[in-house]
Amino acid sequence: MNDNHITYTLDNSSLRNLSERDLLAIRAHVEGCAQCHRAYQAAQISALLVKECADEAVENFGSVNPFFQTRVLAAWREQQAMMSVSAFRRLWSTTGALFASMAATTAALAALTLFVPSSEPASQQTAALVPYSAEAVVLDQDQDSQLTDDQTLSAIYADDDEGK
Amino acid sequence: MSNGYEQASDLELARLARAEDESAFAEIVRRYSPRVFHVAYRFFRERSLAEEAAQETFLKAFAQLKSFEGRGSMEGWLTRIATNTCLNIVRATKRRPELVAADLNEDENEWLEKKLSETSSDRHREVENRRVAADLAERLLETLSAEDRLALTMIDGEDASVSEVAQMTGWSESKVKVRAFRARKKAREALEKLFS
Repeated sequence: MNDNHITYTLDNSSLRNLSERDLLAIRAHVEGCAQCHRAYQAAQISALLVKECADEAVENFGSVNPFFQTRVLAAWREQQAMMSVSAFRRLWSTTGALFASMAATTAALAALTLFVPSSEPASQQTAALVPYSAEAVVLDQDQDSQLTDDQTLSAIYADDDEGK
Repeated sequence: MSNGYEQASDLELARLARAEDESAFAEIVRRYSPRVFHVAYRFFRERSLAEEAAQETFLKAFAQLKSFEGRGSMEGWLTRIATNTCLNIVRATKRRPELVAADLNEDENEWLEKKLSETSSDRHREVENRRVAADLAERLLETLSAEDRLALTMIDGEDASVSEVAQMTGWSESKVKVRAFRARKKAREALEKLFS
């Protein structure tokens, strides 16, 4: 019996692609080696089954469902719609907190301005409304400051002119 | 269904579809559905599963249209997306049951016994009961990983070359060879176990 078992040759390439020399060597070996004989049988049946599977796939692919294109386009439209919704969601998740806090602040300020009555004393309110300071009223500085240079000069030299 | 884009080039269709032109996208689906289904049927026998995978492929392709620059063919680009999509779906199911004799039905057992008793040359004749053979093949291939199964089906089943598989999957040629070797060994050993 030849000790050079043939399982490596069987596994290394497709049986159809084995050379005549390899096949002769295999046949010669399996005659005296029961283990390799079984391996060879299994390899042949395996090759037959794989071929059968491939042939069936080829037969099937000839018949593409005529509604397949419609189905893919419907799924595509659905995906597009979901993508636009998810884009808005992404935008909202990144800027939503900032936007919400800004909106809340604006609303709170508007509510305070319109609905909450003022709690400041009346005197302060009056002071805020009157554009004069206390010094301006007491010292009447404001009036002086409103004189132009010409008016000031004519007021100073008016007596001299009259004396002449 | 005519959409006015039958004459448009792949690159033109990709550009229009990127701008969300539905008719252009529809033309891509129409033009390449057979190719994508061919890939999907390598992985799934059930039509509904193959359709799911094909649909997911086109939706993924739309999302990745920016990466299609027309350097390679759109068919090759879509084939790779389809292959990866199917591999991911199969991986996600994580179903790789062992092939045990007790799980085989009467027809499958009978088919196997018959094949074992045939001589080598008889085995390569037309398979009489193809349905039984296809079911058994599915059981056998389910025991392999998705990648090993793909390599085996393409090389041994479809007579694809190692470089073709490498191109389609994006794997190196040595990886394809290793996958195919491992798949053949595992399938052979699973059947040997059944015989014993």
